[in-house]
Amino acid sequence: MVKLVDTLLLGSSARASRFESEWRHGIFYSKRLLGHLIFMIFSTLEHILTHISFSVVSIVISTHLITLLVNEILGFHDLSKNGMIISFFCITGLLITRWILSGHLPFSDLYESLIFLSWGFSIFHIVFCFKKHKNDLSAIIAPSVIFTQGFATSGVLTEIHQSAILVPALQSHWLMMHVSMMIFGYAALLCGSLLSVGILVITFGEVIQILGKSNNLYFLNESFSFVEIQYMNRNERNNVLQKTFFSSSRNYYRSQFIQQLDRWSYRIISLGFLFLTIGILSGAVWANEAWGSYWNWDPKETWAFITWTIFAIYLHTRKNTKFESVNSSIAASLGFLIIWICYLGINLLGIGLHSYGSFTSN
Amino acid sequence: MKTLSPLNSSNPCLLKTHFLKVPIFNPIFKFKPLPHNTHHARIAKVPSFTINSKLKSSQDINNKGKKSVSQKIVLSETSPPPLAVDKDDINGGSGNESVPVSSKKKGGVSGLAKKLSKKVLQILSNLSLAIGEMFTIAALMALGTVIEQGEAPDFYFKNYPEDHPVLGFFTWRWVLTLGFDHMFTSPVFIGMLALLGASLMACTYTTQIPLVKVSRRWAFLHSAETIRKQEFSDTLTRASIEDVGTLLMGAGYEVFLKGPCLYAFQGLAGRLAPIGVHISLLLIMVGGTLSAAGSFKGSVTVPQGLNFVVGDVLGPTGFLSTPTEAFNTEIHVNRFYMDYFESGEVSQFHTDLSLLDMDGKEVMRKTISVNDPLRYGGITIYQTDWSISALQILKDNEGPYNLAMAPLQINGDKKLFGTFLPVGDINSPDVKGISMLARDLQSIVLYDKEGKFAGVRRPNSKLPINIDGSEIVILDAIGSSGLDLKTDPGVPTVYAGFGALMLTTCISYLSHSQIWAIQDGTSVIIGGKTNRAKMEFPEEMNRLLDKVPEIVESSSSQQVDTITSG
Repeated sequence: MVKLVDTLLLGSSARASRFESEWRHGIFYSKRLLGHLIFMIFSTLEHILTHISFSVVSIVISTHLITLLVNEILGFHDLSKNGMIISFFCITGLLITRWILSGHLPFSDLYESLIFLSWGFSIFHIVFCFKKHKNDLSAIIAPSVIFTQGFATSGVLTEIHQSAILVPALQSHWLMMHVSMMIFGYAALLCGSLLSVGILVITFGEVIQILGKSNNLYFLNESFSFVEIQYMNRNERNNVLQKTFFSSSRNYYRSQFIQQLDRWSYRIISLGFLFLTIGILSGAVWANEAWGSYWNWDPKETWAFITWTIFAIYLHTRKNTKFESVNSSIAASLGFLIIWICYLGINLLGIGLHSYGSFTSN
Repeated sequence: MKTLSPLNSSNPCLLKTHFLKVPIFNPIFKFKPLPHNTHHARIAKVPSFTINSKLKSSQDINNKGKKSVSQKIVLSETSPPPLAVDKDDINGGSGNESVPVSSKKKGGVSGLAKKLSKKVLQILSNLSLAIGEMFTIAALMALGTVIEQGEAPDFYFKNYPEDHPVLGFFTWRWVLTLGFDHMFTSPVFIGMLALLGASLMACTYTTQIPLVKVSRRWAFLHSAETIRKQEFSDTLTRASIEDVGTLLMGAGYEVFLKGPCLYAFQGLAGRLAPIGVHISLLLIMVGGTLSAAGSFKGSVTVPQGLNFVVGDVLGPTGFLSTPTEAFNTEIHVNRFYMDYFESGEVSQFHTDLSLLDMDGKEVMRKTISVNDPLRYGGITIYQTDWSISALQILKDNEGPYNLAMAPLQINGDKKLFGTFLPVGDINSPDVKGISMLARDLQSIVLYDKEGKFAGVRRPNSKLPINIDGSEIVILDAIGSSGLDLKTDPGVPTVYAGFGALMLTTCISYLSHSQIWAIQDGTSVIIGGKTNRAKMEFPEEMNRLLDKVPEIVESSSSQQVDTITSG
């Protein structure tokens, strides 16, 4: 139907003088040719970048796994750090290419927002790499996140994903702020929640192991002191270490590790909470401009608010210093599930005003 | 003094309190047992602040025979600088001792009311209660997305039947009596929100505002032991406290030096910002209530060229809604048109509107589109939808005829409109005709009376098409614009709350660090703590302390060597 219309159009230009029409033809076709060329260059570039980033991340993950199983192999540390930096630049390039190609910021659908999410993860990973001078902490969590993320985008969805056009409701400046803040928020909160899950795993794994060993009072003592060691500050801990048994030093290092995880998780989640707040509020203002009211109890909005509430609970459970890390870790782990429901679950169901990103719609 | 006996026997009590439930225990301030000072301070001078906590102590302190031991524990740091504090401002200012005394003077009833309000305030500002409330609200919201909202009762009878209930107990009775079918306006949900609002207000009043006063004071620590017990502490041999002070000032701390003692802090805003967060949340709640109770909403689909009056379309949403003068405006849709991408998809739709007042004079004219509404007199008009209302055609050069177009149901978001021009005998039951379908205003697809594809025409081209012997010219496709109108008095308040929330959340990310130091002979003992950036604080302190110059005394003169000590 469109082709017919096109011929009609061309036919109408024949009404002009012959010279003018030829001129118009020439311009028309050469513009199209140039456009095609640029399109092809950018799309192949995009392809290349996707594959490079994906493979680099896979290599980094495998080296980390190897270093976990086989003890510290020198030189792999730098390899992983450089690998993450390379993949960061690749993903940045990918996003910029898509931006140029489609003429709008790469936020219009699920695929693009997933790529943006992986970009967010790589940013956080690099920031923490440079802040903390030994990066065994973030190096465990962040690459695995990026990996699952990158795999989902590159492998599970279609290989060639044409950039789609923006529907009228998305043609707004608020798109940039709202979506980017939300995704950065999700990235930070996911990182922090994973760290909290790590805390829970270590704490309860340890306790279960100790209780399972025997009813020996010795081990029970160890388990109690393990739990309490966490809540002493550095100086008291040094005193405790000097006084207790040698085997408790294993608990000491483990509790030290947990404390680090706890503090990092607190910091990252606070940052993520900040981004989430700004994202939700800018979304509300945008909704007021576009649809007439700033809060519609849309499923996606509601779940974003639920996520916000859960992490507010996380921040408040830390006020009570007794059991602060365990309680708050439980809240953060719940938050992990809820973020995935909010981000992917609602889109998959395809309901509500946010259904642009669903698989069912185009 | 007898009443303060638990504080007298300081040490066992101190140890115990670590393991007791202390609901509003502010962990920053050290629990120092100073019984004499507190008693005097409370009545006469300058208590720093009061903490409400319930002490279950084995020692019997019930000299009045009260059931729950709720003692007001007044803390003060050693030798506080004199501050004028009005006793009324301190929460539950008068302690347990003075309340009964003063109430006896005023009379039983008002004293009872005062005690009741204090008790209520105490309960409301409990942190666990607040966490429970937030959790309940989150659970209710989740339930609200799972259960279909706003359906007829029949729907719930079918989906949550009584004979095999969901999860074993959840039937339609639960849904309808608790109001879960309109969850977000149901009494349960609104009640929980109101409770959370009350908790917010109570918490702000009782714990956070006193925090402002306390944080602003500077308080020196005089004992080296206390300093060593801080989260981070270090001892520098052969250093001077003035050097430490100077370095801290260079690093951005506010430093106070008094004799051998030093106190420095940074990032006080990070401690005070949570108050701002709570206040802006309250502001948003107030604005939201105003919106819910006092706004007008309505929507209308207007074909191009027609008018409507604003007041006819808007309906109130709550009891505070009052119409304004602007409701008498008449709105005329001049033109409705759409923009398209190269691929043929709709890129944007626009409506050209003129607003006419009661005398017919045009007061405003604007073209609106999605994301670009019209604002006039408190009313906002949004472009939300569109449809095709009629097709204007010429049949065999007769006409023009307006054929109304109806929407056809297809899957997905694409719209399809169709109309039908009967050919031949109109009254026969088996009437056949020419069908015309349109997906948007760009092009019309025509089918002959057998249903076969006949051709495509653009409305502006005015090219005729010959179908079944008749010549059809499509003159125009008349679209109609879907508009949403709204007035909302709560919006400025809500926007103010949003802005404040964004700002204060940003600020509360800052970390409040405090450092104490004492000059002990030639060595300096430094201790410090921070409330948020617990990871970076020791590193930052170490870097700072590395820069402190080491004082090397030689026999002839004092030389200051800048050897990095560490």
